[in-house]
Amino acid sequence: MNRRNFLSLTGTFTGGMLVLPDFLKAFGATTNLIIGEQCVVFIQLNGGNDGLNTFIPFENPLYYEFRSQIALGKDEVIARNQGMAFHPALRNFADIQNNGDLSVIQNVGYPEPNRSHFRSQEIWQTASNSREYKSEGWLGRYLDLQCNQHQPTAGINIDSIDNLALRGLEPNSITIKDPNRFKVKNNADSIKLSENPQLDFVRKIANSASEGAAEIQKALAKSTAANTYPKTELSKNLEWISRLIKGNLNSKVYYTSLNGFDTHDNQISIHKNKLTDLNDAIFAFYTDLKEAALLQNVTLVVFSEFGRRVKDNGRGTDHGTAAPMFIIGGQNKGKIIGNNPNLGDLVNGDLKHEIDFRSVYASLLKEKLSFDYTKIGIENKPLTGLF
Amino acid sequence: MDIATLWSLRLGFSAKQSSYIEKDFKIFLQKSFVSKIDIQLPQALIDSPKTSEELKIKRQYLKNADPTEKKKYIADENKTNVELKVWWLEKIQKEEFPLREKMTCFWHNHYVSTFQKVKVNYWIYQHNQLLRENAFGNFRELTKQVLKTNAMVRYLDNTDNKKGKTNENLSRELLELFTLGVGNYTEDDIKNGAKALAGLGNGENNAVYRTKFEDNETITYLGKTGNFKSDDLVNIIFEQKNIPYLITKKILKWFLYDNPSEELIVYYGNYLKKNDFEIKPLLTKIFTEEFKNENAGKKIKEPLVYIFQLLDELNIKDANMKMVAFFLKDQGMDLFNQLNVKGWDGGNNWLTSQIFLQRNNASDLLCSRRIINKKGINADDLKQNPELEKINVKLDWNKSATNKEIIAELKNRLLFDADQSLQKDFENILKYDFNSNDPGAENAVLRLFNAMTKTPEFQLI
Repeated sequence: MNRRNFLSLTGTFTGGMLVLPDFLKAFGATTNLIIGEQCVVFIQLNGGNDGLNTFIPFENPLYYEFRSQIALGKDEVIARNQGMAFHPALRNFADIQNNGDLSVIQNVGYPEPNRSHFRSQEIWQTASNSREYKSEGWLGRYLDLQCNQHQPTAGINIDSIDNLALRGLEPNSITIKDPNRFKVKNNADSIKLSENPQLDFVRKIANSASEGAAEIQKALAKSTAANTYPKTELSKNLEWISRLIKGNLNSKVYYTSLNGFDTHDNQISIHKNKLTDLNDAIFAFYTDLKEAALLQNVTLVVFSEFGRRVKDNGRGTDHGTAAPMFIIGGQNKGKIIGNNPNLGDLVNGDLKHEIDFRSVYASLLKEKLSFDYTKIGIENKPLTGLF
Repeated sequence: MDIATLWSLRLGFSAKQSSYIEKDFKIFLQKSFVSKIDIQLPQALIDSPKTSEELKIKRQYLKNADPTEKKKYIADENKTNVELKVWWLEKIQKEEFPLREKMTCFWHNHYVSTFQKVKVNYWIYQHNQLLRENAFGNFRELTKQVLKTNAMVRYLDNTDNKKGKTNENLSRELLELFTLGVGNYTEDDIKNGAKALAGLGNGENNAVYRTKFEDNETITYLGKTGNFKSDDLVNIIFEQKNIPYLITKKILKWFLYDNPSEELIVYYGNYLKKNDFEIKPLLTKIFTEEFKNENAGKKIKEPLVYIFQLLDELNIKDANMKMVAFFLKDQGMDLFNQLNVKGWDGGNNWLTSQIFLQRNNASDLLCSRRIINKKGINADDLKQNPELEKINVKLDWNKSATNKEIIAELKNRLLFDADQSLQKDFENILKYDFNSNDPGAENAVLRLFNAMTKTPEFQLI
């Protein structure tokens, strides 16, 4: 069924849920069946995560020189290995690494880096170079080609707003603010939302309006909640993603984000809180999937639009360039890929990138989604050694 | 939302008139009331049968035609009806002062008469034109004239209402839907009214009584006794105590409130009666008094406003009106074709989750510079030239403003209200370091616009 057919169907006012007869067929026909249904889960860290204080070059004296006020001490950092170590808040990252399920890709960025959040996110989300402007996201373009029929739940974005990365010509993804509303017993009617009954009415309609809602409900009904997740928003989002995966929703791509990494000031405590949140949520998700024996099918990707300036600005850091990416699960090789950050060779005080983020995308598309990345305009060679 | 934009949407179909309203609301109203009426026959109707002679020939032809010829004839008339919708939609879009069209549409939904049943495009046009000419006229006199349109006597089966073999349909709806409303008449009034209307059937330009089928019996109608014809019935109805309220409520719902208070209905209704059912003074009073009140967000946008607001905001000037007509049909606002004589209920009935989804899909498509359906394009042409699916889109926004200023500017035009969490979402799309000189800025603001149009708040005015 294509979008036009869908539109004409909705005009029939049947009032019931949409019937999308070939919904389950399209993915079933892909060759992925042989190796199990693969999917990729993205966590976008908004604001520019400080890579150097996340995965730390603790043996490099320049690190302490540049960051006299915010450097983490040698005895604070954890899981030291070949000159690099994790922020203490990431204690479970160390465990996951020990299990061989975590790869770190160092110095990821792109040429002619842009230090605007707005623009740099756009570049990451569209997989463009810094002079190109694309109106469709890289995952949206992938889904346009992957689902030659309109698949409302091929991509799931759990967030309050649409994500450019998933925007394509066809609506192959949906944004869900609160998956709770898909629970079968929904008593939203009893909730008083505002002083305006007309607004409340439209809000209820908006809450119940989602293509693919039936599939999502089905997936949620099939899976149970793990009770090990902390009570943060990111944890909640990952828990929903896990339930959708366990319930066999068969989405190719899941996306969510965590705000608050723009640490211009008061970095030490803000960053610690954010990384704790990230660590706890990811570890709960990891454990959950591992127990469900699904970790080999699920690749978790953690990234941010840029890293931060090497030298601190006092109690914080300004916008920078290259930073590490983290890959968890999906049978990655559990390696540290790339050189340790070269603090002695900076451009305008920022790290030079060594690995292009699009080569990571290419690798994910090729290895995990069996898709020819050149079809969506990625020219970089896939990163080797990841899977 | 800026008040001039709000009233432009309420009294028209888009934000187009907001600058007039901002300048002087009273002058805007005056100009709206004296707006010119186009009396030129729509191009689409030139070959469509009009006179009773032509219609007779058509009936003869269909009697003897074989099934394929018959089918073709019906298909052609259906096409003509789509053309007629296009004619009206173009008028709606181009009108400098569209209040007359807004009222025409109001009456169109009050004195419902559909093409599906009437099947004569010219009659539908005549009926529509009568409503246009009397858009701001006298409610009582308009009711009299509507009863005498060929479209109405056909639509409500008065063509079958004959002495000794009455059909009560028109008589019933005259009381129930057009004027007094339930509870203000008896079944006997309906029966007797049908007698008075017996014989009123299709004529050359208007419905006329045919002596052969008339019933000249003395009847009692709403307490009055005599030998009455259609005008007499209407005069008697307009002497009833409750006559002003049903129409006043509908007008308040059409322009302002999905759920107007009884108090307000009585207040404005009494004014209508005091002014001998003249519509212009009533509208003037409602608009000027309500203009001063804080009353945004009390009404769900009808599909017409939803789509024309988007087209106007995105500066889509050459939009294909067939595309719009079919969008409206999908949205439950098919022009000349209400589902039943009650017309579109409006209010909450405008939205279901599917219709809401469809609105969002339409916004998504327009914001990605694509048409919302292919109904206006020849399939072969499209095959030859896939570019036909694309449209030019240009959003107006202040190029030298900051992210927050741009958000405020768009909110002012689009949303009657936006709470903290919406604001946060918008600032997530257009971040503080957004640079309006960036080549991607246009797309980014378009994404913001797209997001705003998908909020529940955008559905309300």
